[in-house]
This record gives sequence, C-alpha cells and structure tokens, in this order.
Amino acid sequence: MSNETNKQVQQAAQEPLLEVKDLSVQFTTDKGHPITAVSDSSFTVYPGQWVAIVGESGSGKSTSAMAVLGLLPGTGKVVGGSIKLHGEELVGKSSKDYEKIRGVQMGLVPQDPMSNLNPVWRIGTQVKEALKANNMDVSREKRSSLSKALSDAEVKLKTRDDELFIGSQERPELLAAAKAALQKAGVASVDEKMATFEETWVTGSQTRWLVAQDLIKAGVPDDDAWAVAKAHVTGSNMDDRIAGLLAEAGLPDAATRARQYPHEFSGGMRQRALIAIGLASRPDLLIADEPTSALDVTVQKKILDHLHTLTDSLGTAVLFITHDLGLAAERAQHLVVMYQGRVVESGPSLEVLQHPQHPYTKRLVNAAPSLASQRIISAKERGVDAESLMEHHTKGEETLEHSEHIITVDHLTKEFKLPRKREMFKAVDDVSFSVKRGTTLAIVGESGSGKSTVANMVLHLLDPTSGKVTFEGRDISTFKSKDLLAFRRRVQPVFQNPYGSLDPMYSIYRSIEEPLRIHGIGDRKSRVKRVRELLDMVELPESVMGRYPNELSGGQRQRIAIARAMALNPDVIIADEAVSALDVLVQDEVLRLLNDLQAESGLSYLFITHDLAVVRQIADEVVVMQHGRLVEHATTDEVFDHPKRQYTKDLLDAIPGGKLQLGLDS
Amino acid sequence: MGKYLLRRILQMIPVVIGTTLLIYALVFALPGDPVAAMFGDKPVNAAVAAQIRSEYNLDKPFIIQYLIFLKNALTLDFGNTFAGQPVIAVIGRAFPVTIKLAIMAFVFEAVFGVVFGIISGLKKGKWYDSVILIVSLLLISVPTFVTGFVLQYFLGVKWGLLPVTAGSNPGFIDLLMPASVLGSVSMAYIIRLTRTEVSSNISEDYVRTARAKGMSNKSVTLRHVLRNSMIPVVTYLGADIGALMGGAMITERIFNINGIGNTLYQGIIRGEGTLVVSIVTILVLVFVVCNLVVDMFYAVLDPRIRYV
Amino acid sequence: MTDNTISPESAEAEEFFMDPLPGQERFVAPVDETPLKAVDSVDESEPATSMWTSAWIALRKNPLFIFAAILIVFIIIVALFPQLFTHNDPTYCNLDNSLGKASGSHPLGFDQQGCDVYSRVIYGARTSVSVGVLTTIIVVAVGGFIGAIAGFFGGWIDSLLSRITDVFFAIPLLLGAIVLLQMFRTSDSIWKVVFALALFGWVQVARITRGSVMEAKNLEFNTASTALGSTPMRNLFRHVLPNALAPVIVVATTSLGTYIVSEATLSFLGVGLPSTTVSWGGDISTAQSLLRINPSVLFYPSAALAITVLAFIMMGDAVKDALDPKSRTE
Repeated sequence: MSNETNKQVQQAAQEPLLEVKDLSVQFTTDKGHPITAVSDSSFTVYPGQWVAIVGESGSGKSTSAMAVLGLLPGTGKVVGGSIKLHGEELVGKSSKDYEKIRGVQMGLVPQDPMSNLNPVWRIGTQVKEALKANNMDVSREKRSSLSKALSDAEVKLKTRDDELFIGSQERPELLAAAKAALQKAGVASVDEKMATFEETWVTGSQTRWLVAQDLIKAGVPDDDAWAVAKAHVTGSNMDDRIAGLLAEAGLPDAATRARQYPHEFSGGMRQRALIAIGLASRPDLLIADEPTSALDVTVQKKILDHLHTLTDSLGTAVLFITHDLGLAAERAQHLVVMYQGRVVESGPSLEVLQHPQHPYTKRLVNAAPSLASQRIISAKERGVDAESLMEHHTKGEETLEHSEHIITVDHLTKEFKLPRKREMFKAVDDVSFSVKRGTTLAIVGESGSGKSTVANMVLHLLDPTSGKVTFEGRDISTFKSKDLLAFRRRVQPVFQNPYGSLDPMYSIYRSIEEPLRIHGIGDRKSRVKRVRELLDMVELPESVMGRYPNELSGGQRQRIAIARAMALNPDVIIADEAVSALDVLVQDEVLRLLNDLQAESGLSYLFITHDLAVVRQIADEVVVMQHGRLVEHATTDEVFDHPKRQYTKDLLDAIPGGKLQLGLDS
Repeated sequence: MGKYLLRRILQMIPVVIGTTLLIYALVFALPGDPVAAMFGDKPVNAAVAAQIRSEYNLDKPFIIQYLIFLKNALTLDFGNTFAGQPVIAVIGRAFPVTIKLAIMAFVFEAVFGVVFGIISGLKKGKWYDSVILIVSLLLISVPTFVTGFVLQYFLGVKWGLLPVTAGSNPGFIDLLMPASVLGSVSMAYIIRLTRTEVSSNISEDYVRTARAKGMSNKSVTLRHVLRNSMIPVVTYLGADIGALMGGAMITERIFNINGIGNTLYQGIIRGEGTLVVSIVTILVLVFVVCNLVVDMFYAVLDPRIRYV
Repeated sequence: MTDNTISPESAEAEEFFMDPLPGQERFVAPVDETPLKAVDSVDESEPATSMWTSAWIALRKNPLFIFAAILIVFIIIVALFPQLFTHNDPTYCNLDNSLGKASGSHPLGFDQQGCDVYSRVIYGARTSVSVGVLTTIIVVAVGGFIGAIAGFFGGWIDSLLSRITDVFFAIPLLLGAIVLLQMFRTSDSIWKVVFALALFGWVQVARITRGSVMEAKNLEFNTASTALGSTPMRNLFRHVLPNALAPVIVVATTSLGTYIVSEATLSFLGVGLPSTTVSWGGDISTAQSLLRINPSVLFYPSAALAITVLAFIMMGDAVKDALDPKSRTE
C-alpha cells in the first residue's frame, strides 16, 4: 500500500521523536541501599510509529516508560543515560519544565482503569483538566491558544479556518444545510449519505475541513461545500470538545457520559475515557502502559483497534508497554524486549518473533500461550505433526466418548437477587456438561459469563437455584456432613488469586498440611513426610516449608495451592483462573505441572479461564459461556479449527497475535 | 439523594430512642433513690416524698416513666429543676454560651488541624513535619484539663495575655483560650488523619495520571490530593461536634463558664436526674443530627456514596 | 485461516520488512550481561519470617517503640511495686506540712493537705495503670466478641448488633461514664470506673473488629478452606480471627492511653474515684486551686499522667507502623 510506504519514507526522513540512550534508573530502599531497576537501556521511537516494550513483571518496562514521562514513583531517580524528545534532553529538567512537556508532547494511557480516574470528579471534568492544563483552544484542533498565539501568530491566522470543530448548537443547522446542498446538487441516495454524515460528523471532533471534504466526496460542488462548512462549522465549546474527545475514544453517547462519575463506568469505558485524556492535547507521543491488560479479550481487541486507528489518523507515536509478546508483535512495528532491567533484544517485530536470538526472547516466544496456539495452527497448515508442539496430548473424540463421566452438570441455573431490584439476575442459565475421568474440560468466558459461579456450584460452595451437579452419579446437594467431607476430599479447588488463596498467617507447611488435618489423616510425622512429597511433586525445595506466603512469588504460591489440593489425592481439581495472574513464563511452567500431574495420576480437571489461548495447552474439551449461557461445547480441536458460533469466533479472533506468522525454528 | 436522606433520617429514629432509653435507665432505673438524692443526706418526710414521686412519675413502672418523658420531650417539656425552674429555660440560658464555645473550638481545630496536617503530609520527613507530629502526639497524650491549666498558668497568670477565666457572659476574647483547649485534642487527631490521608493520596494512580495530563503541581495537589483527602477529615469533624459538647464539661469547669457542660456537671453533683437526662438527650440529638449533616456532606464530597 | 496470516509478499507486511530506521537496528544483548535465571526460583537470601516475626523485626528497629517500651515497663514496675521507689505513705497527711518545700525524703514537697507529693505521684501510677489495663481487657473481650459475631455472621445478627452499637456510639465516652458514675459516687472501688468506661468504650473496638472480620472473611483463603472441608466455626477461629487481629491490637494499645486519660478526667470532675484513693486525676483536681499559689503541686501529677499516656499512645503508633498492611504489600 502506497500510504504505508509513504509513512516509512516520512519516518526515515524525520528525526527520531524519542531517543532513549543507556538509561539507568535506581530506587532507594528504606535502609538507603540503591536498587537498580533499569540499566543501560536504549530504544528509539519515530513519529507516528508504534514501538512495544515487552517483558515480565519487574523487568523494568514500566519504570522506563515512567522515566520518560518524568513520573518515577517514590525514590526512583534517573542515574544515567539520556532521554531526548524532539532532540531535547529531558533528563535533569526541572519539574516545572516537565509540566510543560507532559500533556502536549507526551500523553499517558495507564494500566489499571479502576484506579486511574479520580472517583470524586466527573469524567468530563477530568478530560477538561487535560485541555485546560495545556491551554488548548477547544474550538480548534491542535492549537494551544496561549503558547502558539504568542510564538506564531502567523501560523494561527493561516490555519484557523481549517481546524475548527463542529459545535453542538450549530450541528442541526449544519445537517440541514448539508441535506439542502445534497439535494441542490442532485445527488442520488441523499438519505444514505445523510446517515453517514450523522454518524461521522461528531460534535467537538470533526473539523470544518473534513466536513467540506465529505460534502465534496458526496458530490456537492466545491464552492457550495465550502460555503456550507464555513457557515455552519464555527468552532465548538468546552463541553462539545470533551464529548468529541470521548466519542473519538469510542465512548457511545459521550455528551451524557461526560457528566457521569467513574464508578458508573465499566472497566472498558473507563479505559476509553483514559485514552481520551491521554490524547486530549494531541501529544506527539502516547505512552500506553499495559492499557488493556485488565480488560476482557474482546474488549481489549476493540479498544486497541480503536486506539490504532485513532493514533494513525492523528499521527501520534505510541510507546506500548505490554507483557504479551503476541500482542506486542501484532500491534507494533518495532519490538524491545526487556529482562531484569536491561534491553536484551530489539528489532523489527516480526523478525524478533520469527528469529529470536537472545535465550530470554526464545523462552518468551516458546511460552506465550497466544503464540503457542498460533504455532499449532500454522503447524497443522503445513502438515507438521502438531502434537509434538503440545505439552498436553489431547485425547481423541473416541477416548472422550468412552470415558466415564466423573462430574455431570445438569441444567444448572443460579439466580442472584440484585440490590434494590425486583427481578432476579441469572448468573448461570441452564448449563449442562460433563467432565470425563482423566480429562480436562475448560470453561471459557469473559467477566460476567457465570463461569466462576458454575465452579462454585460444582464445588458445593453455592447452591444452584435449579438443576443439579452429580459426582459419580450422585447428586451433590444431597451430601450431608460425612458424604460432604468425603466429596471435599476427592474434589479439590485451586483458586485464581495466588495472593488471596493462602492464609498469610500460615506457614507453607501448615497451609499444605491443613487438608490432612481437617480430614484427620496420619500423625504429625507422616504428615511432615507427605508435605515433603507434595513439595517435591510441585517442584519446590523442602526449605520453603518454614516460609510464609508473602515471601513467595505468585507462581510459587500457585504451586503451593496445587500441592495443597493434591494432598488428599483427589480425583478432580477445579482450577478457577488458576494461571491468569501469572507471568507468561511462570504460567507456562504451572500449566506443564498440571499436565504432568494429570498424566501421572489420571486427574480430571475442570479448568476455568478467560484466556482461550491457554485452553489449547491444557484442555480436551471446551465449554464457551457468555452471559450465563452455554454458547458452544466441543472438543478443543473442534472449537479452534471449526468454531460454530460467532461469539467463539470473536474470542478466537481476539487472541493477540492471531495474524502473525511464526517461524518454526524457534 | 432525597431517598438517601430519608433513609438516614429513618435510621436515626431507633438510635435516638435507644440512646435516650439507655440514659434514662442509667439515671432512673439503677439502684439508689432519686428522691433521697434530691434531699442529700437529710431525712425525708414520707408524704413529701410520695408527692415528689408522683410529680416526677417515679411511682409508675419504669417504661411508663420513660414514655411520659419521651412524650413530654417532644413538646420540649422537660419538667422542672429542684429549684423550680423549667429545665428548658435553664438549658436555654446555658446553651448559647456552649454553642459559641463549641463553634470557636470547631473552627480552631478544623483550620489548624487541616492546615498543619496538609503541610505535614505534603512534606513528609521534613523537620517541620516532625515538629508538627511531636506536638500533636503531646496534645493527644496530655489530658485536656492539664493543657487547660498549663495555658491558664502561662497565658493567663504569668504573662497576662488572656483572661484566666471566662466569667458569666463571655465574649470572643474570653473564650479564646477555652476554645483552643477544647479543640486541642481533636486538632491533634485531625492533623494526624489529614497527614495520613494526604501522604497516601499522593501516591494514588489518578494523581499520577493527572500529572501526566500536564497539570501543574499546584492544581494536582489541590484538585486531586487535597480534595480526596478531605472526605474522611470531614467525617471526623462532624462526628467530633458531639464530642466537643461532651468535652465542654471539663473546659467549662476549668474556665468557669456557665454553659451547658457546667450546668450538666452541677446537675450530676446535685443528683438532679431530670436535668441530667434532659441535657444528655439534647446533646445526643445534637450529635445524631450532626452525623446526619455530615453524611449529607459526605455524599456531596464523595459521589460513590450517593447511590449506595 | 489463510486470511489470518501475513505472507512476506502481502502489502500489509511491507512495513514489517522495511529496512530498520537508525536507532532501530536489530540488537541482541550479550547473553552474559543478563544471564538467564531459572524461571521463578525461590529467593532464599532472607530467613523465613511470618507476619508477626517481621512486624517484631520492624518494631525492634523503631526508636519510637524502644522509647515507649522502656517507659511502659518502668511505669508498670512503679505500679506493681511502688514501695521500691518511696518509703513514705501517700495517705499520711499532716496539715503542718501544708505546701511544705521539698526536702531529702520528700523530693517534691507537700500539697495543701500536707501529703507527700512524690509518694502520691508514685502510688497514683497503680490506679491509672489498673484502670487502663482492666478497661482495655474488658473492652477488647466484649467489643471484640460482638464485633466478630456481627462481622462473621452478617444478616440480621449484624443488623441487630450494629443498631445496638449505634446507640452506644451516640453517647460520648465521658458523658456516658459521668452519668453512670454519679449513681455510685460513694464507692471507692476502681471497678466502677472500669465498668463505666468499658460500657461506653466497647463500641469502638466492636466497630473495628467487625470491619476487620468482614474483610478477612471475604478473603479467598476462607473459601479455599471451606472447599477443603473446613467448617465455618473452624474458619472463624483458625483463619478469620488471626487475620483480623492486627487493627484490634493497634486500637487496643492506643485506647489504653485514652482510658487512663478518661479515668483521670472523671476523678478530676469528682465523679471518678473518691479522694480516699490515691489517683493522679484526683490530686490534680485538688491542686487546681493552687494554680496561682503553688503550680508545682499541680505540675507533678499532671506530668506523670501525661508521660504515661504518651507512652501508650506512642506504643500504639509504633505497633500500627509495624502492622500496617500498606507497608507489607508486595
């Protein structure tokens, strides 16, 4: 495509927008010891380009980004190297000078949409702050009235007509005039064109020039088009502009939404508001720090697609921070891989992905679930034996059919009462499936799909409103004390949050020993022995027995939780988002552990996850849930290769890296 | 918002009833003869005692006594004191002084507490932060009456800057010292609360986002750090009005102010159950109403509350 | 699936296969610069520490704690064994000594009644410390129990208990205690003060325990335990209460100081302990008329009281810093 090439030529001709050279950042501990978070890291961003920094938690990727913004937390300090924006050195700038750069030249889209909006101010007010702080003239695009007018009055005069926004008051007149002009010009299908205008002529976002162009394209003569645009596009006010920015970020019904508070927004909507804030003053560089990691995959895809279109049209460069290699490679042209505070590898995205050189990058490429499932797809296409790529050897349809059902879920429904609402909320709506002995069934769904509610009902932690769960043919709701205890012994949970599922007051030994104690198994000596075995089983050293959860990493805690679940030799393990909170490499190891345990002891898994990519690595069968209903139920291969329902296709489509072709030499 | 207000008012009713019942029970239902208390240690004529009993409804079952009291209280009829004056008149005389004192103390603690708290919280670790912290720690530890004496001794007796006691109809200057003593402990708590809030809010994510917008340090601090820090401080301040009324008893005694606290104290010393119950009832009402006002204010300050 | 892939020839791929721009050339760091660590290895550089151990380590290093601890130990020794510090009888008063100057065996002189100020200050510690400690014990037991029940069971039990708590909360501590105590003015047992303070003081602990239990109850490890076969009661005692303890300890330590102040205030107002019991509050009350004449008689018991309270408040602060969940986050 010629415009792509033009872009490249343009970029090549331009100086780099951001040049980070040998950056080192240190933090100071309470005791005064320096800790180096980033050392000798270099990367470059060109105007209009997406550059991704990839790394696990603690790799220094976010710290590097915050150093660029001059917003290092706490005791953080740049101790070496240089950060140049437009060739201007930022290291050592006073905080006053930094204030002038932030917003106009660099914007931020932060990670967690829940904590990054102030709960006490309206969304619109928080967008307004961004405009006001940078003296943005809200009637025009990219004009900070004070600074530009003072420095460059001529430019302002020359371009003032081009950059005016549509105001809300004049919009009806504009549409009427446009219709009249279309009719006058004798254009066919006026209504259709008007419908397009209605949609694209967004108050506070669409400019006079674009309106004129739209009219001309629709067949209105140049003079008439310009006359209409000049007469009816005379600039927006503050509220229009705020609504325009929010609408640009993909927020529907923006004018009303701007008057609401953050707590009235969903996570995805908040993230859109944050994007609007980050882009409000039309920065040259947008730093997007894991902007969508807290969101559902389909929402993530929508928001990133939107951000991509938006930054492309504005010519904004994006420094994209992410832990997901697939996502990074899919979105960015240039990839920077960080590990332990250093840049270990960088280069053009696809090249890095297809021919990783550094062992860490290789490891990352191998572990990323999105890439792993992609690899299976491409292997199949080439006729290579895909089984060899999978740690989990899926059972064929025949094996599944002949396996005994260990857990059967039969027309399960769960209703909750909503506070101050009459009607009941159906969290789970008529769901049926069964888990076959020795196999893994994955329930996939986004937040609010009811998947965890199903897990809790299977675990007998919640009572179903109707329907039943049977374990080896017996209805679990009939289980009373003794039977229930026996059931608990054989069906064990591993929960999502590795920080929450272990009691911080309990030593690792006590945590793993707890189920043995509850069920009165063995004496002290035999329990110590059993705990040792279990630790060995989950590949942790015996020495962790005396430690406490806060001294272990998330992955280690999840291993402890697995060891605890294995203590009673259960038949079924119900893993509720058990690997979701972990870094990819750790996630990979835990999945491998789960697969090994299944191969060794014939466990059955009910695996609940939002991540379809992970499913491929572990499940034999997949149940897709949406809004409490079962959408699709098939074998893993079937779901991946021939998804039947649109929702499943959307989910598959949203797996990052889906459009990448991977080399198999990694 | 209207619904919320209504709900809060409805929730208030059982609290007021429960509280007055509790106080009433403490004064009238506990062992000990209120009539005997009325006459001190002097022997009482049985007929007189009986008359007094019926006048004060002491011959009726306790719960009836309470209901009669509650019914009368609704019409602001609290009966008479031993000296024969209507209780409401005595209260009416004493209340304005205490209100004046409490308002002054409130302003004192709010202004100085918040200002020093903000300074301390924004400049954590600086020397003046340490000074502010130590002073507030001292103010919390030293009982009010000791603080009162110290100020009386230095400001009043030794240096003669302010009047030592307030007298019968105290003006602004007379109440300056009592008010600062009354507000001192709460001021110290407000300093500590504000400091904690400010220093924890500074590291909130939305504050960083505000900085990333290009906002100046001043407006970030004002609009994001301080605005959010004030929510718990306002709650504390509101709940403190009741405590100020209670604390007035000590302050008014030290500085010899004829306010509600001193009247209550005299009532307790003389064993005037009616007077005590009446004053405490009014104080509890003040407290509960203040809490209600604070809740409303809270809802204004924190939009998340409004819809709960 | 073909439409999902980019072949090197396709137009879309063009940008990926362009010559890199200056500063964006392919770069691979030398492997020895950042040697690969085993994924997720256990950090064994520090010895194993439980939450309590690490809180204790933090406490030990806190000068505030050391200072407060030394003071508290000293005050408790004085309260337990006052005779170690003075041979004078605090209740022996001789009007001949009224406002007498300090001398060798009477280092702080005499008050208006001719009692030895020093020995009264020493013996007063017992009253203050006993009231503080006993009230705190009762308040934590009662308030903790009610708060834990309300927080753990929720539902109507919580509603009922919360309304009761509201009623007591609406009465300021001192006000309630004064009303109660005026009925028992003649008794000289410290228990009446203890009960009066406890009756109106338990609310605060109940509220904090309730909140803290509710928080601990909703943590995932309780669900995990239930799924392992644990009963609700077992969860309450084995998991919820131990995890809800920290804020209660903090508020108990600080409250101890507050109760000592309250006792002194009550005695000062003449509704607390009668003058027959040696107490700092009572002594301050009797000495207040001497403000203009002999302020030192007023000063010594006041100073003793202030130092004692300060010690407990500082201890509360130090404990709070050590147990603060914020400083313990990852």
